[in-house]
Amino acid sequence: MADKPSRTSRLAERARELAPVWTLLALVVFFGVYSESFLTLENFGNILNQVALLAIMGTGITFVLLTAQIDLSVSYMATLAGVVAAYATAGHLPQPWPIVVALLVAAFLGWISGAATAYLGIPSFMSTLAMSLIASGLSLYLTRGRILFDLPPLSKTLGSGRIFGVKWLVIVAALTLLAGHLVLRYTRFGRYVYMTGANPKAAELAGVNTRRIVAAVMVIAAFTAGLAGVVGIGRLGSATPTAFDGMLIDAIGAVVLGGTSLFGGVGGIPQTVVGLLILGVLRNGLDQVSVNIYAKTLITGIILFAALIFNILFAGKKES
Amino acid sequence: MEPLLRLSQVKKRFGGIEALKGIDFEVFAGEVHALVGENGAGKSTMMKILAGVIPDYAGEMVYQGRPLRLKNPKEALDLGIAMIHQELSVMPELSVAENIFLGRQPTRGRVVDWRRMNAEARRILEALGYPQVEVERPLGDYPLGVHQLAEIARAVTSGAELIIMDEPTSALSPMETERLLALVRRLAEQGKAIVYISHFLEEVTAVADRITVLRDGRKVATLKAGETSKAELVRLMLGKEARFFERTALVPRAREGAPVLELHGLSRPRAFADVNLALYPGEIVGLYGLIGSGHFELAETLFGLARPSAGQVRVAGRPLSGGPRRAIREGIAYVPPSRRTGLFLEKPVYQNVSLPWLDRLFGPARELAAAGRVTREVGLKPPDPARVVGAFSGGNQQKVAIARWLIEPPKVFLASEPTRGMDVGAKEEVLAILRRMADAGTAVLLVSSEPETILAAADRVLVMAKGRIVAEFTSGEVTKEMLVHAAAGELKKTA
Repeated sequence: MADKPSRTSRLAERARELAPVWTLLALVVFFGVYSESFLTLENFGNILNQVALLAIMGTGITFVLLTAQIDLSVSYMATLAGVVAAYATAGHLPQPWPIVVALLVAAFLGWISGAATAYLGIPSFMSTLAMSLIASGLSLYLTRGRILFDLPPLSKTLGSGRIFGVKWLVIVAALTLLAGHLVLRYTRFGRYVYMTGANPKAAELAGVNTRRIVAAVMVIAAFTAGLAGVVGIGRLGSATPTAFDGMLIDAIGAVVLGGTSLFGGVGGIPQTVVGLLILGVLRNGLDQVSVNIYAKTLITGIILFAALIFNILFAGKKES
Repeated sequence: MEPLLRLSQVKKRFGGIEALKGIDFEVFAGEVHALVGENGAGKSTMMKILAGVIPDYAGEMVYQGRPLRLKNPKEALDLGIAMIHQELSVMPELSVAENIFLGRQPTRGRVVDWRRMNAEARRILEALGYPQVEVERPLGDYPLGVHQLAEIARAVTSGAELIIMDEPTSALSPMETERLLALVRRLAEQGKAIVYISHFLEEVTAVADRITVLRDGRKVATLKAGETSKAELVRLMLGKEARFFERTALVPRAREGAPVLELHGLSRPRAFADVNLALYPGEIVGLYGLIGSGHFELAETLFGLARPSAGQVRVAGRPLSGGPRRAIREGIAYVPPSRRTGLFLEKPVYQNVSLPWLDRLFGPARELAAAGRVTREVGLKPPDPARVVGAFSGGNQQKVAIARWLIEPPKVFLASEPTRGMDVGAKEEVLAILRRMADAGTAVLLVSSEPETILAAADRVLVMAKGRIVAEFTSGEVTKEMLVHAAAGELKKTA
């Protein structure tokens, strides 16, 4: 085994870092050429609005992927948080307590699946898969399958209101991403997250409590998912027992598309922002050019799969 | 009489290294033929050729009177050559009988014939001298010695004529060892040929008919076990010239004050037992042992990576418990035997160095400054703390692993194999760093399976074997021979 990484592997490293950016630029150019309405300020606003909820969720997922774990429960957690906030509002719990309770419920469930992974060694894909059933089940149980229309006023404001012509939803998303970035980049905790993902054994040898880090990132993921749910019901105008269930693949997909490694330790919020924009541009652009609408999901799926192959190929060296 | 198997002038080369330089070897049916030598003498290469793991080699092999060139381990097995690896390949969840007949259970029609399988298992275990083992019980209910027994029984029932055993007793208790040696003798009496590889010369002289000594890829001698001694074997293994270069005179150091680290009756199952030890500030204590003797596990336990089952650790008089974080706070530093375990190869040097100290040292500027200071202290080349660790040579990576603990000099430094795989120059540099740390008041425990490393740096030397401290050298002349002799010795405590 060579002690020094070869020139090619360093080039590969650069390629992995920049490939998502080139992908994004290529998509923008492509849709800009083929659609007259694509490259407009208004459409750019549309794209941001479309990916805002994903961005809130994706912030937490970025933390989880950086520690080389996964969270498959985020979308169900968002649904549950929305349901809890609406249910408590309907039950006349004074504002803003419905929102606080909803976020605490999400964070608590995240801690359960996180602790199961960190302290009991249950693989995170399994513990969060089970947790997604629990969250989903709670949503169904609380709503009895009905749609709830009593929403916290704050949810309505943040989900569909505007300030100075900018949607609150986009602002919340931007602030969540920014907070995530600051924590990852400028705090000790953020460094521990990266180091735990890069080499858990080495992190332990340096005195990092890696179990606590793993549990903590899963709480963060559940919390941001809950936030997405609480804001999301305001955008939809109602809380339903399956409101955000379909967002799981997009939320994880955006983070992976941005280039955050599935093996942990490499990536971050800037990458996630690029990934979100790729997904947003792709979705939006496909609507604008005359693609068969039934092919949209297929095309998105193929691109996500390609990104995964890319991610694995360039992270493959870490496996040894 | 024809030997069951004969090797003539077998040579094997790995890249630029000649692992075997022309070996002649023969083993007869009914004979236990032991193979001894230092790590790297060529034992494992030779054994892999015998078992068909290495198919490309020069020279020839004759088995049962016919020339033979094995292509893979399966072919070896079909011809009656079985190998019992150090890491056993048994399934603890399955019954003893199932393990013995793994993959070839007797069947009636399409279903397993349990009654016949159990009966045959019982018969074979009786023949091997273990009639009390219940073949229907899960193998996991039994100690390691029975796991080994199951694997040997598997080899015997599959028609093995030649059984190669690699360090079969390294994980066994003294009682289990005795029973295994009796079993090996019984196999030989039943006409099997045994190639027995072991570090433990006491066992080797007890069980073998003949002993072949390898050194440096060559056969040095084949001796009758009854006509040789442990001392002669050690001398042959190490070679005459070694004794002149690898000796050192220990100078006892004046001990200042109280011990900084004390172990009282520390035990951990399957690792070490009843270890008592005291380290004083300013000394480098060498802890020597063969691989598997529990010395690495002891260091790991002291750092909080595993829990002892009994006994006590005191640091500066206070009891110590808890994980690595607590250990670091108490002033204990640790370098693991494999540097890849302890380092973040894709991360820059400064992040590797600063990680244990982030609560008082966070922020790239401060980390870079601190890392710059300690990497200069260890002589990192190039002295660039912003470079990723993976871009440095092995020796310099090791310096990074050590530099981390210079940020705040530890009370106790547990250095496991800190010079493994290094060239002489890098080795000397690393050992010089350890000496400087000791001079600054740190107690260094230098844990190694390389006698040369221990002798080059230690003020006093402890020797571990099978989980116990079996010898201590505090003053006077110590040679590599004395260390190896002590480590390969029997299981009683010596002064």
